[in-house]
Amino acid sequence: MKPPVRKKRSFQRRKVCVFCADSGMKIDYKDIKTLGHFVTERGKILPRRISGNCARHQRKVTIAIKRARNIALMPFTILSS
Amino acid sequence: MKRYETIFITHPELSEEDHAELEEKLRSTVATLKGDIVKLEDWGTKKLGYAIHKNSRGRYFLLDYLAAADLVRELERNLRLNDRVLKFQTVKVDERSSAEAAKTPKEGTPPEKIVRIGEPPVTPEGPRTEEPEKAKTEGGEIK
Repeated sequence: MKPPVRKKRSFQRRKVCVFCADSGMKIDYKDIKTLGHFVTERGKILPRRISGNCARHQRKVTIAIKRARNIALMPFTILSS
Repeated sequence: MKRYETIFITHPELSEEDHAELEEKLRSTVATLKGDIVKLEDWGTKKLGYAIHKNSRGRYFLLDYLAAADLVRELERNLRLNDRVLKFQTVKVDERSSAEAAKTPKEGTPPEKIVRIGEPPVTPEGPRTEEPEKAKTEGGEIK
């Protein structure tokens, strides 16, 4: 019997961490514009596999988003209307 | 002494006198406990990410200063007791102690304007402008 043919998943280009690619970019909890790229439209933090961040920068982004949330610069959740 | 920054949000409908009074209080607290204010920014009234005490807007201030731990404690105590202040948050920015190290801006950050409380806010938005081109090639989710 032939082994089951594994369906080929559509190949996605490997993402590169935005912050590693551009060393001039800083992660700052006051910079809502940049942090906004790393949350979903409901305000949840995007996982690394989607954002493509490296571990170190993802950690920093996470902390920054949480700080921004704490001081109401960002929402904890956005309710769908 | 370490460098801290405290963001605090005041009630959006406060008068300028109330803000001046609050500023005076903070400045005197910093002075008596031998801190050093690097800058005090007024970001103006912004929409809050979520309602705080049923307020959907609030006026943001950023206080950037050098202080010892007891000054931070005292400042936070003042802010906590003041019911005009909706919320505050202190973050330690830098372990370095010297004032001149704090005043030279770190590379990459644009020089920031010192805005006094009471004056109309100049730029309410954050310092950085746009994400570079690279981000666009990363796939749909980021953008």
